Amino acid sequence: MTLLKEFILPRLLQWLLVIFIGVTITFLIPRVSPVNPIDQALSRLTAFQNLSPEATIALRASIEDLYGLQGSIFEQYIAFWKRILRGDLGPSFTSFPMMVNDIIRKSIGWTIGLLGTCVVIAWLLGLILGTLASYYRNRWWSRFLENSLITVYPIPYYILAFVLLMLFAYYFPIFPLVGGGRGTPGLTWTYIRTVIQHATLPALSIIIGATAFRFIMAKALTSGEIASDYVQYAELAALPKRKIIFSYIMRNTMLPQVTDLGLSLGAIFEGALITEVVFSYPGIGSSLYNAIISADYNMIMGITLLSIVGIATASLLVDLSYPFFDPRVRYR
Amino acid sequence: MPTIVEVKDLKAYYHTHAYGVQRTVKAVDGITLNIPEGQVYGIAGESGCGKSTLLKVLLGAHKPPLYVVDGSVRYLFDDAQIATLSLDENTLRELRWKQVSYIPQGSMHVLNPVRRIEDIFHDFVAAHQQVSKAESTQLTRTYLRELGLPEKVMAAYPHQLSGGMRQRVTIALATILSPKLIFADEPTTALDVIVQRGVIQILKEIKRREGSTFVLITHDLGVHANLADRIAVLYAGKLVEEADSRTILKKPLHPYTKFLIQSLPRLDDRSTRVSIPGRPPALDNPPDGCRFHPRCPLAVDKCRTVDPAMVAIQPGHRVACHVVTEATEEVRHAATA
Ligand SMILES: Nc1ncnc2c1ncn2[C@@H]1O[C@H](COP(=O)(O)OP(=O)(O)O)[C@@H](O)[C@H]1O
Ligand code: SF4
Ligand SMILES: [Mg+2]
Repeated sequence: MTLLKEFILPRLLQWLLVIFIGVTITFLIPRVSPVNPIDQALSRLTAFQNLSPEATIALRASIEDLYGLQGSIFEQYIAFWKRILRGDLGPSFTSFPMMVNDIIRKSIGWTIGLLGTCVVIAWLLGLILGTLASYYRNRWWSRFLENSLITVYPIPYYILAFVLLMLFAYYFPIFPLVGGGRGTPGLTWTYIRTVIQHATLPALSIIIGATAFRFIMAKALTSGEIASDYVQYAELAALPKRKIIFSYIMRNTMLPQVTDLGLSLGAIFEGALITEVVFSYPGIGSSLYNAIISADYNMIMGITLLSIVGIATASLLVDLSYPFFDPRVRYR
Repeated sequence: MPTIVEVKDLKAYYHTHAYGVQRTVKAVDGITLNIPEGQVYGIAGESGCGKSTLLKVLLGAHKPPLYVVDGSVRYLFDDAQIATLSLDENTLRELRWKQVSYIPQGSMHVLNPVRRIEDIFHDFVAAHQQVSKAESTQLTRTYLRELGLPEKVMAAYPHQLSGGMRQRVTIALATILSPKLIFADEPTTALDVIVQRGVIQILKEIKRREGSTFVLITHDLGVHANLADRIAVLYAGKLVEEADSRTILKKPLHPYTKFLIQSLPRLDDRSTRVSIPGRPPALDNPPDGCRFHPRCPLAVDKCRTVDPAMVAIQPGHRVACHVVTEATEEVRHAATA
């Protein structure tokens, strides 16, 4: 009971507060922005035809109604919350009458599948390689790994992505240039194979950089652990190396590493943008990009809300898992 | 009393260079001693005089920047004579914990903070003998009970134990495989008096049960008075006096040992506490001759240039001091004349 009251409840409240503030800001920003989304929608609709002023006013009213822009700002705010709590993000401005919900539902699987997997793979790789390289820091392979990853790390992501794309999709067309899969979607081997083929290059582009980052972080954390009294003592007592590396060193770096993994996972919806645009991958990032260039406010808001919930939830989960990774963190 | 560790003319220096400056700290500089089997051999001296360094070399656990420059260390076990300084890693691993064990200085932090005590014991036991988790847990439970430690510590994490309990658990961890030889570095330092008593009690209990040899380092002569059979006094990387603890405590000869004894707090008379003038020398540039001469009230000219050798004043009582040696010789001359 105290666990629930003193540990879980405050964190849940904090999570709710973050989401509340996030939603409110998402609501306010387009409304204080000098660009009026209604005017933009109207001008798009009237670009190729002449409407009488009466017709324009009628159209404006119906758009306002449709997009929840009627009434005082407070009424709008209440209506906004009602819609969100119903899980209704409204229609897309540009792909009208498609609903934002449906668009997100279609693309979210691609993003979670690609970026989620990559973040986890890079985390595991960087963690294990970084720890081993730090422990065996005088071996040739350890120096080789460190030198190569430190060289790769500062390369800007979009350059790395373009180089991969040019090399392996254009000059040596081993991998497809655009898309997420080919054929009829389903759990068939032929379809899954095309999905893997399409995901390989974007995955590589993410994994290389993320592994380098994780490697550097693991190495720094590990070198501190190696110098610790308990690792030195375990060495002196001739514990097996495997035991020392995993239970005495890596286990003690789990707290910051798991935090970072959680936050990286929570942030994949923003992280998706460049990757998906460069590789024309059909996920949330591509949807966001299209929404931004066409001023599709509902769509932008929908994805923004998704990111807010994603990050808030990730940090909630990370927070709740702390005592599991470090007994010194008390349930308080 | 047979010897179990034999140290001959041991020199161990720290070679460091920082910002292009080479520095050599002569932390152990020509020490010769024999540690008798089955006793508590105490090593005393102010902090910074090289006690921990000496212990690391005796354990074969020295690593850069600490280098053994000269001398030898041998373990004289019943079944084997082992030249400790030239051992390969595998033999050293074989020796550790089963034969030779170590209770480190500042052992507050030697227990892995994310593992339960019983898992730590399993790690250490399983590293040296084939045991299942259940067997090692049983072994640990029995051993802790014999040492009078509460069973509930087994399920605890290190941070949940008090400092004194952590120290006693560490001592149990170091001695659970009944090693012949146990090196303990300041096991009671940083504990309050009552907790110290518990730690001393546990060390006595282990010695009584196993008949192990203890090499006990502490700057606290009060602890030595409680535990040690013999005491070696170290000053600035050198041995200055060695005898059975009664002699050291009641009839010390070396001026430095005398200071150490006088500076002990006494129950009967508080006013006679004397603190040693000056401070111990920096070991990267120790004084010539007797290293104690800048602080010694008896120093003569010879002390400033000639390094006094350890001389057996009586059987089992060695002192390194020109004045003491000469006084003894005069007495001998007078006796023979
Ligand atoms: N890693 C090191 N590098 C350089 N000098 C050291 C190192 N460790 C200890 N020393 C020096 O060696 C001398 C002896 O230290 P130590 O053996 O720890 O003394 P004690 O245990 O008696 O307090 C001290 O002067 C100390 O400054
Ligand atoms: S040798 Fe000289 S300086 Fe050293 S302790 Fe003896 S009297 Fe003092
Ligand atoms: Mg010390």
